[in-house]
Amino acid sequence: MDGFYEKIAEILEVDTLNPSEELANFPEWDSLSVLSVIAMIGSDYGVNLTAADLRGVATAQALRDLVTGRRGR
Amino acid sequence: MDCAPYTLVTGASSGLGRSTAVRLSRERNLILHGRNPERLEETLGMCLNRDRHIVWAFDLKNPGELAGSLTPLLAASARSVKAFVHCAGMVTVLPMRSVDYRVAHEIMNVNFFSAAEIVHTLLKKKVNGRALTDILFVSSIWSRFGARAHSAYCASKAALDGLMRALAVELAPAIRVNSILPGAIQTPMAAQGLADPSIAEKLEQDYPMGIGRPDDIADVIEFVLSDRARWLTGQEIVIDGGRTVNMSLK
Repeated sequence: MDGFYEKIAEILEVDTLNPSEELANFPEWDSLSVLSVIAMIGSDYGVNLTAADLRGVATAQALRDLVTGRRGR
Repeated sequence: MDCAPYTLVTGASSGLGRSTAVRLSRERNLILHGRNPERLEETLGMCLNRDRHIVWAFDLKNPGELAGSLTPLLAASARSVKAFVHCAGMVTVLPMRSVDYRVAHEIMNVNFFSAAEIVHTLLKKKVNGRALTDILFVSSIWSRFGARAHSAYCASKAALDGLMRALAVELAPAIRVNSILPGAIQTPMAAQGLADPSIAEKLEQDYPMGIGRPDDIADVIEFVLSDRARWLTGQEIVIDGGRTVNMSLK
């Protein structure tokens, strides 16, 4: 999971990212960003998520935990 | 060049390409193309007349190396290709702000440049004689319309249709060239989208005849490649269960 937060920061077009900050606080966190995140996680971490999976995810930390959990299955 | 003519089907290791290969195996000798040799062998196992077909494992993300792989395959047993069906394709769901040159080029390589390079190779007399008579590209209804986060995919399929029309004129009357434009089909490529209940529900509403099956497309491909379609060339053939004529509000 190296570089996970950096990749999320790049999608959100910010320089740095506090993993515990609400994703909803970022202006670039929209439906298209969700698609970018899903594609990135699929290609870089081999985990296929749906938009529905991300609806309950509030922070980048929670997203990382979700991906980590799915990878462990 | 004296040899039994083959039909080359790209993307034959899964989905639409696999169904097309199985359908065409009834009456044709096939070259089954795909990336993964094991999955190609699975497709071969599903085909009729197995001993008449061969497999060609090659990654279409590298079209610059394609001729160097395909040419020896044909030369090995003096094989020639009569028909070429380009089923291989990939889709990446990304907004344009995430589609850099690398991403766009990868999609274009698989969906467009590889098809062009195969045609280019098969037109060489030293490689394939004058055996080629039919070219069929599997495009998409998305080549004609827009969709959020599908810019590279839409562009690649539109490029394929543009190539189809130009080749239909350039290569007539010896070679017929057409595109098939399927709507949403139940394939592994579509599975991720269809796994989202909201997307699946919307598709069911948008498609008057429901979502298609791979065989729905394979049936038409078999016809377009046949002598019964002798005068059919240069056409985008839409097969979409009525999706593109559906203007219903609810």
